[in-house]
Amino acid sequence: MDLRAASRHTVLRHMDSQTTELSSLGVLIEAVGRGSQIALKRLYELESRRLYGIALRIVRRPDIAADVLQEAFVQIWQNAAAFSAERGAAAAWLTGIVRFRALDAVRKHGREVLTDDPTLGDAVLEPDVIEKIDAAAEAGALTRCLKLLDNEQQRCIVLAFVEGLSHSEIAERVNAPLGSVKSWIRRGLLSLRRCLQS
Amino acid sequence: MIPENPEDLHTLAGEYVLGVLDATDESEVAAALATNADLRRAITFWEQRLHPLSELVSPAEPPPDAWQAIEARISQAAPKPPGLRFWDNLALWRWSAAGFAAVAAALALWIVVTPVPGPSFVAVLHPPQQDQAAWVATAGRQGLVVRTLTGAAPPSDRAFELWAIDPAMTRPRSLGVIPPTGELKLTTLPVELREGSTLAISIEPAGGSPTQQPTGPVVFVGTVKAA
Repeated sequence: MDLRAASRHTVLRHMDSQTTELSSLGVLIEAVGRGSQIALKRLYELESRRLYGIALRIVRRPDIAADVLQEAFVQIWQNAAAFSAERGAAAAWLTGIVRFRALDAVRKHGREVLTDDPTLGDAVLEPDVIEKIDAAAEAGALTRCLKLLDNEQQRCIVLAFVEGLSHSEIAERVNAPLGSVKSWIRRGLLSLRRCLQS
Repeated sequence: MIPENPEDLHTLAGEYVLGVLDATDESEVAAALATNADLRRAITFWEQRLHPLSELVSPAEPPPDAWQAIEARISQAAPKPPGLRFWDNLALWRWSAAGFAAVAAALALWIVVTPVPGPSFVAVLHPPQQDQAAWVATAGRQGLVVRTLTGAAPPSDRAFELWAIDPAMTRPRSLGVIPPTGELKLTTLPVELREGSTLAISIEPAGGSPTQQPTGPVVFVGTVKAA
């Protein structure tokens, strides 16, 4: 097998494993919807590290992140029957639930700033951060479209999604007026949608 | 105001998914979700399309007792009954955490001001996957009363119709169209109404569903509990 064939093989295998995982997450959620606690436990085994990481990045406190994870899984348990293919990919559905539970927790508790923790730092501000997104098909479109945005627009949208920062927190972080941040995000979303739909 | 212009609607949906909206705007979006399918689609679009950004976050090991805590919680909270799968195409939505206190307060008030003699049931209806109490149903020997807590009104030329879903049955049964006053009274207790069954309100043509089954979106649901 020459180098090109080998790399193509790797890419295909990667896509295969991703497809399998996506469909199995969907199948698990459907089983959870029918009341299977075993399926929920399996879902937890597969997804809890990823989801806890997302919660921790937003709330920045392990005890609160653990509460968020717990709330999210109770919600997954209660709402799994309502999950349908129409709601799109299972992983994104799960992420959405955890992010909103985490954002609620931030509003309730306020945000701890633990900048001395290296795992919770400002890595997202690195200029080449979007290069780190996996080059899977869906991510490819997002990465390509994000790159078309102005730096400020791109940075604000990534900050909001990954760290769960509000308009005013972003303004503080990037040291810009609130009005500018709002308009960067709005114009960024508008361009992003046009690009993603084209 | 939820914009009608598709571009503004998508921008608002994107801001909602990013989580940058202030509390007022966010609750307005959350409230509109139950009845605005375009908004739901726009939010799903952003949740799906922005999802790769979550790969920028490193996974982390949750505390070892996290699963046990979840297990303890779910053994008390049954999943929504499979009968609800009937409504699967409704793109049901997440809840806002704000509603628990409101539900408790509404219930407590109701129970204090309207003592119902004999065995009785109560249900609090809320928009799918939100916790904001929107309707309270009480049932006893004297029948069933369903009353709005929020003054919710159907879109013009439409009506709210109330349905009961017995977990043992596959199809909802209509309990009638809710009058514009926001209060529906039945003098007999429908057999479908018992502990564990589901009450739902859908949006139907004026006069009610022409098919004996819900034809429009389900905008409020709740589980019947012994009071």
